[in-house]
Parts: sequence; structure tokens; C-alpha cells
Amino acid sequence: MSETALALPVAAPARRGWRVGEWGWAIGLPVGFTLVLLALWQAAADLSGIPTVLLPSPLAVLRRAAEVWPELLDNARYTGLEAVLSFLIASLLGVAVAAALSASERLREALYPNLVLFQLIPKIALAPLFVLWLGIGSASRLTFAVFVSFFPVAIATLAGLASADGNALRLCRSLNARGWQTFLAVRVPYSLPFLFSGLKVAATMAFIGVVVGEFISARAGLGYYILFASSRADTPGILAAIGMLCLLGLALYGLIALGEQAARRWWRGG
Amino acid sequence: MNAPASAPKATALASPVPAGPQGSVQARPPTPRPDFIKVESARKVYATGRDTVEAVSDVSFSVTRGEFVAILGPSGCGKSTLLMMCAGLESITSGRIGIDSMPMTGPRESIGVMFQDSTLLPWKSVLENILFPVRIMRRPVRDYMDRARSLLAMTGLTGFEHKKPHQLSGGMRQRAAICRALVTDPDILLMDEPFSALDAMTRDEMNEALLGIWDRQPKTALFVTHSIREAVLLADRVLVMTRRPATVVEDLRIPFPRPRDPSIGESEEFNRLVRHLRGLIERGPRGAGAPPAMAATP
Repeated sequence: MSETALALPVAAPARRGWRVGEWGWAIGLPVGFTLVLLALWQAAADLSGIPTVLLPSPLAVLRRAAEVWPELLDNARYTGLEAVLSFLIASLLGVAVAAALSASERLREALYPNLVLFQLIPKIALAPLFVLWLGIGSASRLTFAVFVSFFPVAIATLAGLASADGNALRLCRSLNARGWQTFLAVRVPYSLPFLFSGLKVAATMAFIGVVVGEFISARAGLGYYILFASSRADTPGILAAIGMLCLLGLALYGLIALGEQAARRWWRGG
Repeated sequence: MNAPASAPKATALASPVPAGPQGSVQARPPTPRPDFIKVESARKVYATGRDTVEAVSDVSFSVTRGEFVAILGPSGCGKSTLLMMCAGLESITSGRIGIDSMPMTGPRESIGVMFQDSTLLPWKSVLENILFPVRIMRRPVRDYMDRARSLLAMTGLTGFEHKKPHQLSGGMRQRAAICRALVTDPDILLMDEPFSALDAMTRDEMNEALLGIWDRQPKTALFVTHSIREAVLLADRVLVMTRRPATVVEDLRIPFPRPRDPSIGESEEFNRLVRHLRGLIERGPRGAGAPPAMAATP
């Protein structure tokens, strides 16, 4: 800026006394909000005299988590493993089905309405069926979790593959591109943002599927632990297990978000 | 790669204006084949529900090898449809389009197409976008690297080859699209209003760039535009299309020799041609009777 310029107030850039930055706000605000909420909860639990069985304070939950930590960790391993595994299977299956539907118009016409219809079924209600079919082992929980998390991936990916820029598709046609070339070079990259939003939903659904499965039939896992704790009126234990589930879900979600960021960097580049 | 800069045949000047100021010194390579692109009674009818719309009605013209022909007309006159039929991207309802004496059946590798939108893939670098046709045609990329780089240099994009499209201006994106259309050295370049999305100044710049490219890489070209001045500046011949009927009503030879400079746009001759074309577009063909079936000069 030149010093001789007429000192127009308009030209002065806005300055803040201290700089927080975009990331500071993006992380600080939600964390701060959560802390405030926890503090209120703590105060409510301490001051209201509601019994711990009904409303344990956050500190009581933490204390309980520390007490049963090895047990929590052990159960979390089961749940986490099954959820991640079913998430992976559901993702691969969802992408494969979407690719097949995108490749064949006939197949799409035949299956897509059914896919949407299936999506509408409250799939949780089907969980007992899976136990009936596949027994009370891992297989039934995995299959059920795959079943509930598969749809969001398939439908989002299909929408993504269909979202490819019409001009880019026309360009491919003008170059006499084969179907698979157009698919890999244009449709797949255009589908990535959709795919990742589908994966994020699927990650949540996979945990829901596994925990519901564990509610019905399990001798291990956080769902089992929650049921067990509730039978003993161990409310802090239930909440500790739920906190553990949140951490697991967050970890998977974080991995997907990282993948999404990598994809976005590849897209927009620097 | 560098064919000699060529001038149009300065002999055939059956236009309402006198011949250009300087005669052409350099002749084309001997015996240009007369009909490189031949369009015969081409029609395109769209069925929309119960109605049918005649997007192109009975268009005939031919283009010799190396000629730059502009198709000029108001929006909705079917000129883009006509171009897409020549590109093999639209079917022909009736009539025939032959290129290099082979009937058009679908897109061909010997035809490069440029669209109104630059249609660069946003995740690919400029260089990768330019090499896209090479990859799709499954030719060895290293054979085309030099050509891609010299095209980049010719269009002033050197230094931007590793940028992504969103980091370029609209004009630069469209220049990259020209490079992409030329990278496999097609015989024919079809351009569908390639500069119409650009602002006026960028557009002038692009016209100048295209003239420069044409001096170094002369190709047979069809160039669809609704800008009269652009058509006169760039083309060896201007075909005028009207809306109703959607057909060619005029085939005007543009006498300016090449290499051309955009400054010819200020000449009296240039403006007379522009006025003549504008008259045709605004009032329709006068005294020409039925629209000429074959390209006839007035």
C-alpha cells in the first residue's frame, strides 16, 4: 500500500486484534459447545439430586469407564471389527451394484425402483430374521450390518455415476471412447463426492447394524455390554459403552473424511 | 507438423466485394480434393411428443480440404445440430453427410470437436486434459508429448501445463480445448460456438489466437457462430442459416488472404461483407427465390 495514497477509510483492510483462523473456529466452536453442555449436565446431576441410576454425571461416567476400561476395550474390539468389516463389504458391494446398474439400462430399470423401495423398509425390523437364518454368531450380525449399510452406498454411488457432466460424456462420444473408458475416465471421478457422502452414512449404519445384532444375540461387543449393564442398572456403564461407540464411529468417520479430502485435493489440485 | 502457411484460393472470388488487396502468393498443395465434407439434403427432425420439429431442413453444401467454413445464423436455426450431425454425434433423419467420401456413421478419430464449453475434466491438469484424446484412442502418450507441448506454446499456455482448469481464465480454458482438439492432428476440426461464452475482449483475443493457429496448422474446419464479425474474420466461406426454414440461404466467399490480421475488421470491405450478412439474417434472402439447394454464391 502506498503511503501517499489518500487515506480513504474504505481501503483499510479489516483487522482483528487476535487471529483465530478458520480451523480454530471450526474445531473450537463445537468442542466448546460440547464442554459447556457437559458442564451443565454435571451441574444438573450434582445439584438436582436425581439418582445416578437415572442421570449419572459425566464425571461418574468417566469414573465408571476407568473402572471397566479393559472390559470396554475388549468389547469395543468385537464391535469395531465387525462394524468395519461390514462397512467394507457393504462399500464394495454397493459400488459394484451401482457400477452394474450404471452400465446396463435394463438392469437399472429392473432394480432401481426395488432398491429405493427396500431403502424404505425399516430394516432394523428385519434383524431377528437374520438371526433365524444365520444363527446367533458373527455371521448373522455381519450380514445384517452389511444389509443396512449397503443401500446408502449403492444409491449415492449410482447418483454420482449419473451426475457426470453431459459435455464430458459428449466429448467421450466424439472420441469414440469405449463404454469402460468413459466409465473410468469420466463417470467414476464425477461420482466420488457422492460416493463419500454415501460412505459416511454407511459407516454410521454399519455400527447401528452391529449393535442391533448384538442386542439380539451376542456374548460380546458393546451392544452386549450395554444390555448387560442395563440388566444391572449400571447406567454409568451404559453411557461409558455409548461413549466408546461414539469414539469408534468417529474414528471410522474420520478415516472416510481423510479419504474424501485426499480425493478433493486430487480433484482441485494445487 | 508445420505445413506451410496457406492462403485460400484467391481465384474464386464471386462475392459482392472486390478481391482482396494482395493476391495469394502461395497456392495450396496441388489438386485439393473438391469435396472433403459433403452434405447432401441433410435433414434433422426431432419428435417431441406428438409434434415434430424440423431442426435442420434440407441443407446441402460442400467443403474442400483445408477450407475454413463458418456456419452463421441466429440462435435456434439448427446450426449446432448441423455441426453435431457432421461430427457423428447426432443422427441424420434423411439426406447424407460424407466425409472424405465415406458416409458418416458415427464419431471418427479424424475429426476433432470443440464445444461451447471447454469441457476440461476438472481433476486433470491442463497437459493431461490435452492428452485425453490420445489416451482414449489408446495411442502411446510419449509420441504426442512434443506435439502437446508445441500446441501449448502456440496458444500461450506454456507454464500452465500442470495447472488445473479452475486455475485458468475462461479464455485459457478454451485455448486448452483447442489444443485438445488438435493434439491427435485430426483432418477436420468442428467448432460449436467455441467462444460464445467468453467476454468480448477475450473473444477478440481468441479469434486472433485461432487465426494464428490456422496459419501454422491449417485444417478443414466448420465453425458455428452467431457473431457475424467473427465469421467474416475467421472463415474462407460463410454459410448463412435462417431459422425458418432451418437451411443455408447464402454461401459467401470471404476474400481476405491469409495470414489475416484482426485489423482487417476495420476495412471498408470487411464491413460491407458484415452489412450484407446482417441484412440476410435480419430480412432473409432477398430475390434469391427458394433457398439454394447447393451452395450458390449470390
